[in-house]
Amino acid sequence: MEHKMTFDSIWEQEEQQGLQQRLRQDYPAWLRRRHQRRTALATVAVLVVAGFSIFNFQPSTSKDYDYVACNRSGIAESHWVKVASNILTIETL
Amino acid sequence: MKRLLFILLLPLAFLSCSREVEEVPLYRQYAARQDLTVAQVKGFQLCDTVKIDVVILVADDSTAWQSLKTEFDIRTSEGVTSWMGEIDHPARRVKRDVRPAWRAMAVHADRTIAFYRVDNSLQYQALLDYQMDKLVNR
Repeated sequence: MEHKMTFDSIWEQEEQQGLQQRLRQDYPAWLRRRHQRRTALATVAVLVVAGFSIFNFQPSTSKDYDYVACNRSGIAESHWVKVASNILTIETL
Repeated sequence: MKRLLFILLLPLAFLSCSREVEEVPLYRQYAARQDLTVAQVKGFQLCDTVKIDVVILVADDSTAWQSLKTEFDIRTSEGVTSWMGEIDHPARRVKRDVRPAWRAMAVHADRTIAFYRVDNSLQYQALLDYQMDKLVNR
């Protein structure tokens, strides 16, 4: 009985030490992996925000329209904006 | 991790696609016509807060103008003819309070028809205010 108890306590002690040793070895590796994961996530977040800003960037000009399309080339965009405005002026209320 | 990347990059991809030039169906419908010069002004600013889409058809000659007049059932031959047109068939007249609709104006002297897309009463009011401002300050 005494022998068994001694064996059990030694086993338990070994187990604890083994566990501690494993923790000592694995914990830094786990910390390193977590750090890498977080860095990758932060990089992706920065890329997304930067991409969003670039795609939505609109220079602050005094344009009074978003864009103009025409089936003929060589006519200035401003011409069509002027036409759109002038016709409203011609129209009788 | 891959799933997270996908979720984060999907809106970005969508944004990049949505920046392509959007053509109004009415513009697309007439852009291929050889006898017309067709233009669309997207987001024409009426005031600080209201923008509107405009499609302009210009007939290159009197034959094309006659054809446009027939197509849009314009029976007058001088001054400006205006009407409210159905959004899918601008030639069909609708009442002034129908939304969305086209506010169409045909200028005979310039062989031009301009269509202003009105989606709500705010845009309609802004359109009237814009006209009034222009006429008063002329």
